[in-house]
Amino acid sequence: MLELYGQVEEAVAAIKAKWDKTPRAGIILGTGLGGMVDEIREEASLGYEEIPNFPKSTAVSHRGRLVCGTLNGLPVMAMEGRFHMYEGYPLKQITLPVRVMRAMGAELLLVSNACGGLNPYFRNGDLVVIEDHINLMGDNPLIGINDDRLGPRFPDMCEPYDRKLIDKALEIARKEDIVAHQGVFVAVAGPNLETRAEYRFLRTIGADMVGMSTVPEVIVAVHCGMRVVGFSIVTDMCLPDALEPADVSKIIATANAAEPKLRTLVRGVLAAENV
Amino acid sequence: MAEKDSRPLRAGVDQCVRIVQSQWTKPPRAAVILGTGFGGLTSHINIEATFPYSALPSFQHPTAVAHRGQLVCGELAGVPIIALQGRVHYYEQFSFAQITHPVHVAAALGCELLIVSNASGGLNPRYRSGDIMVLEDHIDLMGSRNAFTASERSAPVRWRQPHFYDAELATMAISVGRRENFVCHRGVYVAVTGPNYETRAEYRFLRCIGGDVVGMSTVPEVIAAAEAGMRVLALSAVTNVAKPDAPDAVDAMEVVDVAEHAEPKLRAIAMEVVRHI
Repeated sequence: MLELYGQVEEAVAAIKAKWDKTPRAGIILGTGLGGMVDEIREEASLGYEEIPNFPKSTAVSHRGRLVCGTLNGLPVMAMEGRFHMYEGYPLKQITLPVRVMRAMGAELLLVSNACGGLNPYFRNGDLVVIEDHINLMGDNPLIGINDDRLGPRFPDMCEPYDRKLIDKALEIARKEDIVAHQGVFVAVAGPNLETRAEYRFLRTIGADMVGMSTVPEVIVAVHCGMRVVGFSIVTDMCLPDALEPADVSKIIATANAAEPKLRTLVRGVLAAENV
Repeated sequence: MAEKDSRPLRAGVDQCVRIVQSQWTKPPRAAVILGTGFGGLTSHINIEATFPYSALPSFQHPTAVAHRGQLVCGELAGVPIIALQGRVHYYEQFSFAQITHPVHVAAALGCELLIVSNASGGLNPRYRSGDIMVLEDHIDLMGSRNAFTASERSAPVRWRQPHFYDAELATMAISVGRRENFVCHRGVYVAVTGPNYETRAEYRFLRCIGGDVVGMSTVPEVIAAAEAGMRVLALSAVTNVAKPDAPDAVDAMEVVDVAEHAEPKLRAIAMEVVRHI
């Protein structure tokens, strides 16, 4: 991990050459939140290939650019397109943008994803505010010799997701009449979807939803001292005794249909930051 | 994933044995791996030779807090032993071959027993900070088993028994706890990669699959020792008990502090067991 500090500095220098504001929040736009970028008053935009040490994204429906600007007046940096372990990237590389956001000055990380629902009370298209996570990816972005300039050797994880922001998001959802649960997100490497036996296993160990992203970024955000708020869109219910084959185009359609609701929560949470 | 060192370490083992034997000719009966907080045991060893890890081929220098890096040779309770003061971990990006190298050296020196200690987080709600747990079994969520490949093995496999942990030694350890009046449990250790401490959801998960404590070490060394035909006694100092329903932050320095307070208990067990082999 001793190489990361220099890599972060190089990326920050490249971004500051185009945009030198201090962002209040970093945003990772997952599947179904890509449209949020339209709400950002864009002041600069960099393709990932223009930023030193950023990997290039390949997943369906993810573009690859960093958008800097203001969202309802709050300076933000948003990643349009994210990286996944199943694409073959090392977790240290996937999570580098989070360290760059922190080094630019962001104290809050907002992440979103599309997930499979394990909790039978969930429905397709519901929103879930991530309350906690289980890392079953089999890897950790913090493995290596720790650089104390970036964060502590053994970061505590008793509250990776900011409780106040969870409550704020749920309150906004109630006011706006949006179905929003809170739940435990389990991260797996993928890329295959789970077997029925694996869905039963993940439910048994306490997970409400499953996905292939987000947890590495959150671990790194906690390591570097950021507050985190995370949202999942349930795009496909994973009920092992009534399992239907997953259809990627349906998943993306569900995510897109849920997007306005998620945007409402994101706007509300960020507005609460802007005081 | 940690980079794998696929170089055969066999030559390194032989070199280490020659270096140790050039200065210390007693045949050691046991090897003790001194985990977090157990380093103080060395002051009870009648030290006859020490080797910094840097002087021993293929030994890696620890980067973790409270881990020194030296091999100590001498007598504990009148029995010749070697002590490994400081270990390296998977979360430091060392390969399993590098992590287990000292165990292979211990086996090659003739040690028939491995005593290994660690500091762990309690999952079992009946455990208290400062308690000792004798490992009865483990759950490997670190991926250690998969990581051993034929090319990495530095010695032929000599499985002694189907159990990793010697039941007779475990019973002896528990009886020391009764005699010395400290709490000593028998339980299951879950090994994870770390380095972050667990989330509340992860604590619940690990408890629900049968873990009593969780830690980031020990299992690779235990597997290597069992493969080499050594008897194993593994001791865990419970430094904090997870309460997922009433979370409290874990502080690394507090972990070290509690482990150091548990040191006399670990020492009493180690001395009794060594005396009996």
